[in-house]
Amino acid sequence: MQRLIEFIKRIYLVLLFLLMEGVALWYYATATPYNEAKILSRTTAVGGFFSGMVTDVGHFFSLPDENRMLTERIAVLEQTLQRERELHGIDVLDSAQVAALNMDNIHYRYYPSRVTSMTTNRQRNFVVLDKGAEDDIKPNMGVITPDRKLVGYIISCSRHYSVVLPILNTEFNIGGRLADNRSACSVHWLGDSPHYVEAFDLSTYANPAVGMAVEASSERLPDGVIIGHIESFEHNAAKTAYSARLKLATDLSSLDNVLIVENTHYGEIEELLKTTEKQRQK
Amino acid sequence: MYKYLSYVWLALLLFVAQVFLLDNISIAMWLRPMLFPLIVLLLPMELRTVWVLFVALGVGLAMDLAVGGSGLYTASLLPLAMIRSTLLYATTGRYVEHSDQTALLPRLAMRQLMLYVAVAMLLHHALFFFLETLSLASLSTLLLRIFASALLSTLIALPVTRLFIAKIAVK
Repeated sequence: MQRLIEFIKRIYLVLLFLLMEGVALWYYATATPYNEAKILSRTTAVGGFFSGMVTDVGHFFSLPDENRMLTERIAVLEQTLQRERELHGIDVLDSAQVAALNMDNIHYRYYPSRVTSMTTNRQRNFVVLDKGAEDDIKPNMGVITPDRKLVGYIISCSRHYSVVLPILNTEFNIGGRLADNRSACSVHWLGDSPHYVEAFDLSTYANPAVGMAVEASSERLPDGVIIGHIESFEHNAAKTAYSARLKLATDLSSLDNVLIVENTHYGEIEELLKTTEKQRQK
Repeated sequence: MYKYLSYVWLALLLFVAQVFLLDNISIAMWLRPMLFPLIVLLLPMELRTVWVLFVALGVGLAMDLAVGGSGLYTASLLPLAMIRSTLLYATTGRYVEHSDQTALLPRLAMRQLMLYVAVAMLLHHALFFFLETLSLASLSTLLLRIFASALLSTLIALPVTRLFIAKIAVK
């Protein structure tokens, strides 16, 4: 005990410095989501390697479930493809027809990715994916599950990793609409339960119902990406709109494989919005 | 206690100058002079490092609160408090004895003193701007900000240091 006290006396200055610096850096890192994401994407370059090894083991044990889900997904895609062929009177695409399909003009590109690490127990959660700038991943790309459920969108990338702002982050906001009648609303997580989010400003004429699906409505994502299903709803105090509690369509805590979605027109839309804004200010 | 009064005045002066003057001067995006590290750098070298750490913590927190730095000013100033004795030895070859009763800084040649201040400013600015951007994507811009701002800070620090050290030496 005496030796321990002597040892602490010798190094107390370094300990004090590390404590003060650690608190200052922690405060700085968590002060804004930008800092948090930037630091997270830097630290994941090292941490991602170790987390990757752990998740590889997890992936091995979840392979049967993933195979079942992929098989179901292939079946749905095959059906869609068959319907398209029948609509256009094409039986089987030959190599010339495949080459003629100009992939550069495609509206949405999909990049498969896997979750390296994530949190769901904080107010500001983040998800780290194993694809980064070297894989053509850029900020503002959407992230969904393979069965088209919303996860979030990319906010920063390092060379090999990217950080996602998921729906379970109190800074996250997204437009939504009822899948049945396309009435608009805004969706936001209040930071309480990791299984529920809130939908606000739903028109009084929307006729919401329990169990109705709410889709994402965002330039970052294609149509048909489900956020969740209405669990309950009520009028706001002024009775001018509905607020609804949605049960999330996906369980983020068991997230594994995801699709990163690039809207190839996103830059053009952003540019147009900025130009319009500038013109309005003039 | 009285002998530290000059340091209190210096701290107040530099703090006010930083918050109300230097932080509001917009010369160029890559030019941002910072004088407040001088508060830590010019403290008596004989002062125990633990007290210097607490002064750095106080100055950093005051800056963070005044300009909304969210811990950035504190995080970049604390290492300077920790390494300043080593830095003085590396730049001037003078070793600090905590039992020394006569102030060391006024006994240094002005060139040695300014070398110590310039290197300390460069290290502080490098850490500050790196923490601020948290990215090496625009490395050339980051380096330009560090070197240009450190140079300007050192140039402004020159007359302040000269005046203050002269005042200390007279006492």
